[in-house]
Amino acid sequence: MKTKAVVATMASLAMLVGFAGCGGSDSTASKKSTSSNEKVTIKIQTFNNFGFGENSDTAPGADLYTKYMKEHPNVTIKPTVAASSDDARAAFNTAISTGSGAYDIYATEVDWMPSIMAIPDKFYDLTSATSGNDWADWKVAAAKSADGKLIGAGTDSGPEGICYRADLLKKAGFDSSREAVAKWIGGDSATWDSYFKAGEEYTKKTGLPWYDSMSAVYQGMVNQIEESYVKKDGTIIATQNPDIKKAYGQLTATQSQSAHLAQWSDDWNAAFKSDKGFATTLCPAWLVNNIKGNAGADFKGWDIADVFPGGGGNWGGSYLVVPQDSKVKEEAAKLVAWLTAPEQQVAVFSAASNYPSSPTAQKDAKVADKKDAFLNNAPVGKIFADRSDAIKVVPYKGAQYFDIQTKLADALNRFDVDKSQSADQAWKQWTNDVKSLS
Amino acid sequence: MSFTKTKVSTSSNAGPGKVRNWLGRFEWKASPYLYVAPFFLLFSVVGLFPLFYTAYIAMRQYNTLTGDSGLAVCGATCGSSGSVGSWFGNFSWVLHQPAFWDALRNSFSIFLLSSVPQIIIALWLAWVLNANLKAKTFWRMGVLLPYIVAPSAAGIIFSQIFSDKMGALNVLLQQFGMNPIMWHGTPFWSHIAIATIVNFRWTGYNTLIFLAAMQAIPHELTEAAVVDGAGKVRTFFSVTLPLLKPTLIFVIITSTIGGLQIFDEPQMFHSGTSGYGGANRQYLTVSTYLWNLGFNNVTIGQPNLGRAAAVAWILFLIIVAIAILNFCLTQRLATSGEAKSKKKKGRA
Repeated sequence: MKTKAVVATMASLAMLVGFAGCGGSDSTASKKSTSSNEKVTIKIQTFNNFGFGENSDTAPGADLYTKYMKEHPNVTIKPTVAASSDDARAAFNTAISTGSGAYDIYATEVDWMPSIMAIPDKFYDLTSATSGNDWADWKVAAAKSADGKLIGAGTDSGPEGICYRADLLKKAGFDSSREAVAKWIGGDSATWDSYFKAGEEYTKKTGLPWYDSMSAVYQGMVNQIEESYVKKDGTIIATQNPDIKKAYGQLTATQSQSAHLAQWSDDWNAAFKSDKGFATTLCPAWLVNNIKGNAGADFKGWDIADVFPGGGGNWGGSYLVVPQDSKVKEEAAKLVAWLTAPEQQVAVFSAASNYPSSPTAQKDAKVADKKDAFLNNAPVGKIFADRSDAIKVVPYKGAQYFDIQTKLADALNRFDVDKSQSADQAWKQWTNDVKSLS
Repeated sequence: MSFTKTKVSTSSNAGPGKVRNWLGRFEWKASPYLYVAPFFLLFSVVGLFPLFYTAYIAMRQYNTLTGDSGLAVCGATCGSSGSVGSWFGNFSWVLHQPAFWDALRNSFSIFLLSSVPQIIIALWLAWVLNANLKAKTFWRMGVLLPYIVAPSAAGIIFSQIFSDKMGALNVLLQQFGMNPIMWHGTPFWSHIAIATIVNFRWTGYNTLIFLAAMQAIPHELTEAAVVDGAGKVRTFFSVTLPLLKPTLIFVIITSTIGGLQIFDEPQMFHSGTSGYGGANRQYLTVSTYLWNLGFNNVTIGQPNLGRAAAVAWILFLIIVAIAILNFCLTQRLATSGEAKSKKKKGRA
């Protein structure tokens, strides 16, 4: 009898909670309004760390939502942070295809943009709302549809440097100053060969891994190839492209330098503060947030060198888009314009590490002079500005880019992490994977 | 009885009585069906309709984002005939994918590794809990506790335990001087790990169902067996087990359906963000494959949702076939040898 009563209470409690939950979401969904004083609720989905939220050790942020809601008392912002960019993309795809209006604003990664550009009619044109904003030309070009609509408003960009463990290098007897490391990797004329050569030296001496994961390093390599998987005329050249084959071969030859970790896995997270962790990692600006989160804000040892193999490179950087089926498009577009305006980009880079995509923001003293205490007081503002200037290639990414890239990362993980296949076997399986995408 | 009698007496009356009589008979005959109708109406809207609509999509070139663009094709995988449209284009594409066969192998392997030990342990636990224990309710609630844990929460906890390098289990193994196990690297160990997560959650649930069924077995039957000189083991196999047949069928069929559709656990077991199911498809199950195809890899120009729908239908047919097979096997298992158990069941 007692258990019955307990179960009954629990069931009724659960129902109450359930109803309350339904009530909450119902009322937000039924609110549709555009006039300036009516109450609106804007739901926004992001992933990783965009630096919009409250500041914390694991997720540094500029607390922009609170600021916006204070300036616009009629607006309520409901942010959701997806566990990973892949989860965010799956949720995004489902919501867009069904027109469910699950969120009013989505953060989208630069690699998804080509497939979004193929369905521009499902998104709200942000041209007029963001007329006061400015972005680098390549940032805008990737978000403009064929008929001239601006689908995405750029948030950050991802110029890459090399982050390294000064403590590990010092322990192994290498000069761990920023200038020395940059020179060791190859300085201004650094190539992938010179990067791996330094790695070989380090690994031979210490027996410790040089970089974290082949699929991570490959991201840096593929972002320097202008036409990687898809040609500008739309033909898929992934498996025949000699540049891809060359990068794959060069990378898989450095097996001894890898820490054999899958990016974003628990083991990868844990290795950032390990004594046996990897010494270097390719370091797009936003990754500094993750390094800080994984190593702990008090961890001393990480530093960043103003160098990158093969010239510069951009990895990631995101956009905000507003779907047509949102009930509060105009209000959402206003919020998007505000969040991506130069002042807010400056605020985000000051609090977190997402480097601005707006030239005005990049020139701002708060950005250009920023030093990061976590990275041994490195002048990150200057370093990322240099790295941004070093970018010479704007890679073309066709609609199929994201899925082909995912499959190639799988191939590298088969060889590097699982060790379940040889490099050739993994490549062969990848060519079949690409074939099955047609 | 008296009710029907009054009906008969009113039937001899004139007009309005006839109508009332007809209504009465209609109520008598139709009301049971009307009572169950809401379920079937709801089922046909949310169950049958999607089933057939999925079949329709499975025959089309349907992309999640861009929608329908004609009759299904098999694509480059089928060679030169791949560009010809036909209703089974998506099905033949799926059957040509090594990934699908790997997924099917994994689903079956995880299903067997989880369901078989789970049912055996649940039977044993139920048998123990059915004995005279002190603080009965405490123990009975205890076995159900893991079931209350949300699958994703269990997944997160176990993915920490089964991490390849820093996982609790591997750290422990290394303490004893053993080699760490690459839980995510090989199909076998990943299946063991996932089956453990499944068993953790579902064993208690099945135990409770078996326990309820065991308590419904009349005491005089087991007592009679004991008087006849049967030991505990004999009583269990010759009296308890045959009488559990209907419950056994229920549990086996539900765990088959659940096992073949397994999704949450492999998804949570996966560490990292891309390549769900493992880079070499070590623990890619049919449901994970379906989700990946339909909602994760949404390449524009690829009829991915149509192909996902084809996977869904193939999975559906497999489950129906297995359920029928299960039913036949369980029937034989529980009736074999014990002719008298049939009589007892009739009495119960």
